[in-house]
Amino acid sequence: MSAVEVGTELPSLTVTFRREDLVRYAGASGDFNPIHWSDRMAASLGLPGVIAHGMLTMASAARVVTDWLEDPADLVEYGVRFTKPVVVPDDDKGVSVTFSAKVDKVADGLAEIDITAVAGEEKVLGRARAVVRVP
Amino acid sequence: MTIDATMVGRSYSAAESYQVGREKIREFADAIGDANPAYRGDDAIAPPTFAFMVGSKALDQLLEDGELGLRLDRIVHGAQKFSYTRPIKAGDDIAATATITTVRKAGDVEVIMYETALTTVAGEPIATSTSTITHNRADG
Repeated sequence: MSAVEVGTELPSLTVTFRREDLVRYAGASGDFNPIHWSDRMAASLGLPGVIAHGMLTMASAARVVTDWLEDPADLVEYGVRFTKPVVVPDDDKGVSVTFSAKVDKVADGLAEIDITAVAGEEKVLGRARAVVRVP
Repeated sequence: MTIDATMVGRSYSAAESYQVGREKIREFADAIGDANPAYRGDDAIAPPTFAFMVGSKALDQLLEDGELGLRLDRIVHGAQKFSYTRPIKAGDDIAATATITTVRKAGDVEVIMYETALTTVAGEPIATSTSTITHNRADG
């Protein structure tokens, strides 16, 4: 990692979620909430369709930061708001989410990073921020 | 029964400690599409959000408190934050305790915040998870 300063942009990342990915995440995480696999249950909660686990979106957003760090153990704080559901259609194409991130504060050996997550035209995470130790 | 602000402060500990295995870390990293070598092998650390899964063992106990009257299929995750003392790593034996910190009600909708402390079974801090969930009692 070269010198980190306010305005430093991290390499962006685009991931695709398909139904299969939600099933795999449900199994690995133990989160079997039916809104992540049943259109009927999602609709009964007023959702537009099956949605990705917020924690899967959050895990993907973290990769923008941990891919950039030499050691992911240097992440000390990480938080997001799930502002828009990421609807995952039951097709082969799935939905793509693009994550970008920028350093907006550096002090006392810590950098604060603001992360943006966009699916289609919509931001799906709010106040997505990470604090990392920097050299 | 339904949850209300008098239930702030209630704590729920996971029924058992969570033993972190390197293959579970690998499975989780694969499921989030993360090929980072730090998450593989004997000295594997866990991806940051692995902490939520470990903490969810305490949430399971909270959901079983009949006085709160919460149902998993009526819950949507609103916000999530983690503070890490150190990463979770293969070989850890982790105790999780969730404490209700805020309850706000608006009609059928309840917004609940809870904080989950993850420590070693010896009590050394690992991470703290702060979750905001929305529970909807309305029948669609």
